[in-house]
Amino acid sequence: MEQQSSDWIGELLSWIENTPLAVAIAGSDWAFPIIETVHVIALALLLGTVCVADLRLLGWASTERPYREVARESLPWAWIAFAAAAISGTLMFITKAAEYYENAAFRTKAVLLLLAGLNMLIFELATARDAANWDRARSIPWAGRVAAALSLLLWISIVFCGRRIGFTMTPN
Amino acid sequence: MRSCERIMLALAQWLSGTPMSLAIHELDWLVPLLQTVHIIAIAMVVSSVFMIELRLLRVVKSQSIADTAHRFVPWIWTGLAILAVTGITLIIAEPQRALHNPAFQLKMLLLALAIAFICVFQISLGGKSKFWFHADQSRPAVKLLVAVLAISVFMLWCAIAFAGRLIAYLQPG
Repeated sequence: MEQQSSDWIGELLSWIENTPLAVAIAGSDWAFPIIETVHVIALALLLGTVCVADLRLLGWASTERPYREVARESLPWAWIAFAAAAISGTLMFITKAAEYYENAAFRTKAVLLLLAGLNMLIFELATARDAANWDRARSIPWAGRVAAALSLLLWISIVFCGRRIGFTMTPN
Repeated sequence: MRSCERIMLALAQWLSGTPMSLAIHELDWLVPLLQTVHIIAIAMVVSSVFMIELRLLRVVKSQSIADTAHRFVPWIWTGLAILAVTGITLIIAEPQRALHNPAFQLKMLLLALAIAFICVFQISLGGKSKFWFHADQSRPAVKLLVAVLAISVFMLWCAIAFAGRLIAYLQPG
């Protein structure tokens, strides 16, 4: 049974690699560096804008302004940057789907991405519910500060894993 | 080969034999770590430029232009310092990769231009002209010029990132 289940994943990855889009990107000299650059700029903007909100939560920057105001001017851009990173990442993934899937650094990055998403979800749905009250209280509740610290650690680790992927994939 | 190319090649060959260069290669996780710190510093610079531009384009208006600049310009300089340190270390680690590479040379040229823009911006904030104080109420032509400059500077940083990526692709034979 185990053999059969890994076979269907292998077939799916193989099918993905052979789609016209994947073949076109893999075959072009310029497509990959351009997509990689978009990915780097997107992740740079994602990391930076998330950092603006996280540093406010940790009480290390912009403490004279309420959290919700700092979040409002940074987090929407974080989401847009994340979408750009996800799209560019997917375009890269499809060109060598099977190899990325087997790559240890890629798998670690995927897990960390899920954890980062979960961290953000828990924060938005539970912790930040009474963010309005934070403006009156002087400091952010510990759950908010933990979420911010986790966020920074996770995203930096994700960048490191991303670089490791570059070093552990076979060159074209 | 032109003489400056000869000098670069000689420098690259000398650097790759130094103890420091060889030591960096002993630790196979060091180059990806340096590159990661380099990318984090890129995030500092590009995001700070982005936040200032959002204000210049009046997409966000919660603070004055001067306050936004004072908030984010220090991050740009800090990021650039980290980029310089990690960049130089990466060059020492793999001198052949960078010094003799047209993509690297283009990147440095564009970087010099971008730093010039930051300096001009910072000087204009400190001067007596109060231009940025009244920027939100200036004539449409002036607002358009500011917008075009802001977007151009961001494109410039994107070009620097692209040139940086191309270093890996344009390895000398």
